[in-house]
Amino acid sequence: MADSDALSTGERSRRNVLKAGAAVAVSGGVAPLALAHPAVAAESALPPPASTAEVTLRVNGVRRNVTVESRVTLLDALRERLGVTGPKKGCDRGECGACTVLVEGQRVKSCMTLAVMEDNRDITTVEGLARGDELHPVQAAFIQRDAFQCGFCTSGQIMSAVACIKEGHTGSHAEIRDWMSGNLCRCGCYPNIVEAVRDAAKGGKL
Amino acid sequence: MKLFDYARTSRVSDAVGLVAGHPGGAFIGGGTELTNLMKDGVLAPDLVVDVGALALADIGVRKGQLLIGATARMGDVAEHPVVRERFPVISEALLASASPQVRNRATIGGNLMQRTRCWYYRDVGSACNKREPGSGCPAIGGQNRWHAIHGGSDHCIAVHPSDLAVSLTALDATVLTLGPDGRRSIPIGDFYRLPGSTPDQETALRHGELITAVEIPESGPAAGSRYLKLRDRATFEFAVVSVAAALIQAGGVVTDVRLAFGGIATRPWRSAGAEEALRGHPLTQATIAAAGRALVDGAQPREHNAFKVELVQRALADILEDFGGRK
Amino acid sequence: MSPIVGSPVARIDGRAKVTGAATYTADTQVSGALYGYLVLSTIANGRITGITTQDAERSPGVVGIFTHQNMPRLAVPTSQLAAYWKRVIPLQNADIHHSGQPVAYVVAQTLEQAQHAASLVNVTYDARTPQTSLSGAMDEAYVPDPGLEGPNEVTRGDTEAGLAQADVRIDVSYTTPMHHHNALEPSATTAVWDGDRLTVHETAQGINATRLSLSEALDVPLANIRVLSPFLGGGFGAKGPVWPHTMFTAALARHLRHPVKLVLSRAQAYTSNGHRPEAHQRFRLGAKRDGTLTAIDHITTSQVSRTEDLLFNTSEPTRMLYACPNVHVAQRAVKLHLPAPSNMRSPEVVAAHGLETALDELSYELDMDPIKLRLRNYTSVNPDNGAAFGSKHLQECYRRGADAFGWSKRDPRPRSMRDGDTLIGLGMASAAHTAGGRPGAGARVVISANGKAVVQVATHDIGTGTYTVMSQVAADSLGLDLDDVDFELGDTDYPFAFVSAASATAPGVSAAVNRACTTARRSVIDIAVADPRSPLHGIPADQITVEAGILYDTDRPKLRDTIRAVVTRHGEPVEATTNPVPIPPGYTTGAVFAEVRVDPRLGQVRVTRMHGIFDAGRVLNRRTLRSQAIGGAVWAVGFTLSEHTMVDHHLGRIVNPNLSGYLVPVNADIPEIHIGFVDKPDPANREAFGARGFGETPMTGMTAAIGNAVYHATGRRIRDLPITLDKIIGDGEAG
Repeated sequence: MADSDALSTGERSRRNVLKAGAAVAVSGGVAPLALAHPAVAAESALPPPASTAEVTLRVNGVRRNVTVESRVTLLDALRERLGVTGPKKGCDRGECGACTVLVEGQRVKSCMTLAVMEDNRDITTVEGLARGDELHPVQAAFIQRDAFQCGFCTSGQIMSAVACIKEGHTGSHAEIRDWMSGNLCRCGCYPNIVEAVRDAAKGGKL
Repeated sequence: MKLFDYARTSRVSDAVGLVAGHPGGAFIGGGTELTNLMKDGVLAPDLVVDVGALALADIGVRKGQLLIGATARMGDVAEHPVVRERFPVISEALLASASPQVRNRATIGGNLMQRTRCWYYRDVGSACNKREPGSGCPAIGGQNRWHAIHGGSDHCIAVHPSDLAVSLTALDATVLTLGPDGRRSIPIGDFYRLPGSTPDQETALRHGELITAVEIPESGPAAGSRYLKLRDRATFEFAVVSVAAALIQAGGVVTDVRLAFGGIATRPWRSAGAEEALRGHPLTQATIAAAGRALVDGAQPREHNAFKVELVQRALADILEDFGGRK
Repeated sequence: MSPIVGSPVARIDGRAKVTGAATYTADTQVSGALYGYLVLSTIANGRITGITTQDAERSPGVVGIFTHQNMPRLAVPTSQLAAYWKRVIPLQNADIHHSGQPVAYVVAQTLEQAQHAASLVNVTYDARTPQTSLSGAMDEAYVPDPGLEGPNEVTRGDTEAGLAQADVRIDVSYTTPMHHHNALEPSATTAVWDGDRLTVHETAQGINATRLSLSEALDVPLANIRVLSPFLGGGFGAKGPVWPHTMFTAALARHLRHPVKLVLSRAQAYTSNGHRPEAHQRFRLGAKRDGTLTAIDHITTSQVSRTEDLLFNTSEPTRMLYACPNVHVAQRAVKLHLPAPSNMRSPEVVAAHGLETALDELSYELDMDPIKLRLRNYTSVNPDNGAAFGSKHLQECYRRGADAFGWSKRDPRPRSMRDGDTLIGLGMASAAHTAGGRPGAGARVVISANGKAVVQVATHDIGTGTYTVMSQVAADSLGLDLDDVDFELGDTDYPFAFVSAASATAPGVSAAVNRACTTARRSVIDIAVADPRSPLHGIPADQITVEAGILYDTDRPKLRDTIRAVVTRHGEPVEATTNPVPIPPGYTTGAVFAEVRVDPRLGQVRVTRMHGIFDAGRVLNRRTLRSQAIGGAVWAVGFTLSEHTMVDHHLGRIVNPNLSGYLVPVNADIPEIHIGFVDKPDPANREAFGARGFGETPMTGMTAAIGNAVYHATGRRIRDLPITLDKIIGDGEAG
């Protein structure tokens, strides 16, 4: 569904539409001292709060502009507005991990963050891993190890695995198990997932 | 989820001003807690102010105090070398929390402000005095396996869920805030309130007051501190019972000891009695047992959680015996 | 022996699943679809006295709020193949039978609008006290009339006489809690009408059941309904039956003349698509001193809803697994104000858990090795009716499993094996589940002039590997390379298949694909030998071999033609269609072993090793079958150690309808799992290459093996699942 359709009957016309990007300021390095004594600003350049915003999400390297209500999660923005359905909604409460994506290279649960909070950020979903026909090593390892059955948790598992390897949490089976435990697999493919992550981590070039 | 206004700012004073100026205003940090509560209809702010871009994410030691910025992410704090080496109980508590994905996002301030996992609180189809004062507490006579044996009242027996808060309680941390009335330093022991007859009032914070940092003294026992968390599956679960312990022995006796507990109380539970039973004594079976007895003195178990009285004593013994170098 | 069937081919749909290209139901993009969201009752017993919808209706984006007062009327589907197990449909009157029953259906322009509007619907009730405690209502238990799986009370011989003859008797009871499937994909429906024709994208394990239910509920001709389910994000039984929300969505899409999409929330799934009910079992076993069973009396009492009393936890293990002359089985029901139970993975696991735990208890009473006890009572025929099993190689499973696991190193005395303060326990059990005896499937194959075949069955890939395995079967049966076969499923336009449940898909659909493809291959041969332009012209058809797309004279392999050339010359595609044939009854068994490590002071139990050796008949694809076996073992860990749906009996309300309070195992809970197969064809399933249904079996037995290992480690027999830390430390167990 196009985002314009999604909101055409909403309250958009009666509310402020904020270009959320305008509100973002870059936070500079602040000495620890400042933590205890946050400076009180002399003047404020604060844009007005708004219930709807245009945000830019760089999804798998492509800039996508979308107008969303503030209450729309990153997951629902991807799935219901942008047609990016690799990330799955299994629980919508951060309890299953099926919605895991990378934001600026870090794994996060996209159901627990609002799209307006991710403005101007790089979002990588499972759709963005392969290069043409060439699968990412983690994807290839998941097929080789039969690390899924129904496949519903798989995109989240794979995104988590990519991050897990990058974080360096693949030193042992036990470490992989622990650091892959934020992703439930109800088909019960855990041992195969562990082997796939181990294979991909050993294979290098990620 | 109710439609709300959203604002993001890089200035702490703006964030505080915005929320202070709106009775229905709320801060959002990583989003891992507030989004759930809004989806469940437990909280329904009409203004959400994003503090994720505030320059409050630094971690460092200054004048014998570890200072952790409120918007530092749980994962970053857990893996920070200073925290790992000199305040291991904090690192262990954080690594035992949630999942890697959540730890990448959730902030220290947000973690301290997380709400109870009591299912009646999170289910708007049930009554709950914390969510809706005066509506009743079904947990007291209901499914209370996960509920408190300490610190409860006739109005609420919900457990405080933060592992981090337990570790900070053991280390005598101070919560630094900025509110519309200025800055405050709140000892963590005063930060969380007992439910009493007002379980909806959970902390010492006033409306619009923002946690800016947590300060932890680099006391003697911090470097050898440990966290033990027991639960019903290997990981990715809140504590059934947890213990944060920091302890120093000299000349065969305990000279300094800090013990805090999770999963058993309505707020992170420091046990002066258990500490008293150990201080000045050698770590022996007898003193450890005495500490355990002191810990559960006055406990009020309910129909399904009486096991915690026994379990928390065993957890304490287990962690203390580790300090004794044997089990 | 065929080269493709039996080889561990990697999943054909693997690429789609690892790249996000696989389109699950809720991923389907339907232009202009409206979003539905359910409002569920907060009381468990009573009547709706009023619903205020004004605030919700005025909420932005709302298209309609549908309650029992304005919901289109629906008829209760009654055909057995419609698989609508409920006897009522909500939103048709004001009665409330359980908490979490739909009381309103909100339709709005966006998901967020629908969800928010749902929170504004205000319902008032005349609430009565609910009864949701099984233990509190045991005196209301009764034996229901025969249900889907036959009679609920069966007697063989004379159990009282058998108990009287016994040297050793035990009388033990076990309780297992309510469980939920928690497929990671929540149930979802998108209904699209085009005139009087309905297309439904559905999370279905039984698209034909969905189609039939919708036809009966909405009074629409079957031919006008198409149900699609190309990928299913797990089902485990939840998506086998048809549930009311699917009908509501189709009815409202018709009413609103607009596509409607509904996805259940995780919490809603706890009261909307069935569960494994809480059960209480009492076993009385009698045995001779040498271990020979003289009697088994097995009474199961489980929860049913107030409006239905179908039972799904069935007692086949007690009836079929061991040779015992005197058996009495009764399955009793207690009507509670809870949702209707339904099938859930390995329905026989409940009985198997009781039986296999009771046998372990008996083995200690007899001071006899538990494998020896099972072998003493071994049966190669079905003791229920004396009929031979197609094949049963359970003795081999015990032997191989014991060897691989190192059973002989076990000191049977409880608390005898330690690693420092950690107690180590080893346990075993038999795995067994019925497989087959269900309606099978038909199939259609079309071989085109490009030499490629398309094979179609209205079946499902619920994660078991149907796409892959059926492609293998088709390739072998046709004599084509795997790459030249395209297997399609999940569309009711294809030939019928039974619900993908009860271990029915591998044997039923394999047989259908084999039949259709064998017919098509024969047609190609017949065309070739009758065609003067073919090098094979005039050769007797039964002398022709087909392999990898090439037809040749078996005696003179240089005389050859290709399928592609034959069909091209023929001028039209070669087709074959077969009708469903029932699946022969089967019994799939195995031997399972578990090692646990227990911290007796802190009550922590960790499963550290699991082994399973199974007789599933012929293994069609070791890679996918092994994954199913591993999955069963993981489910057993959850069943035994952590899964528990909890109900507040004052409110009649489930308190942990989520994945943080309902604890399915996480990766860190699961150790190495070793799986082996006997891999001998079942002669009763020749058409299916000797494969027998398997998916339900590997969870059975393992639950008891884990519990038996906990007993061996600790000396504590915990008869009330799950075995949580409080039970391990209970009653002042020494630390």
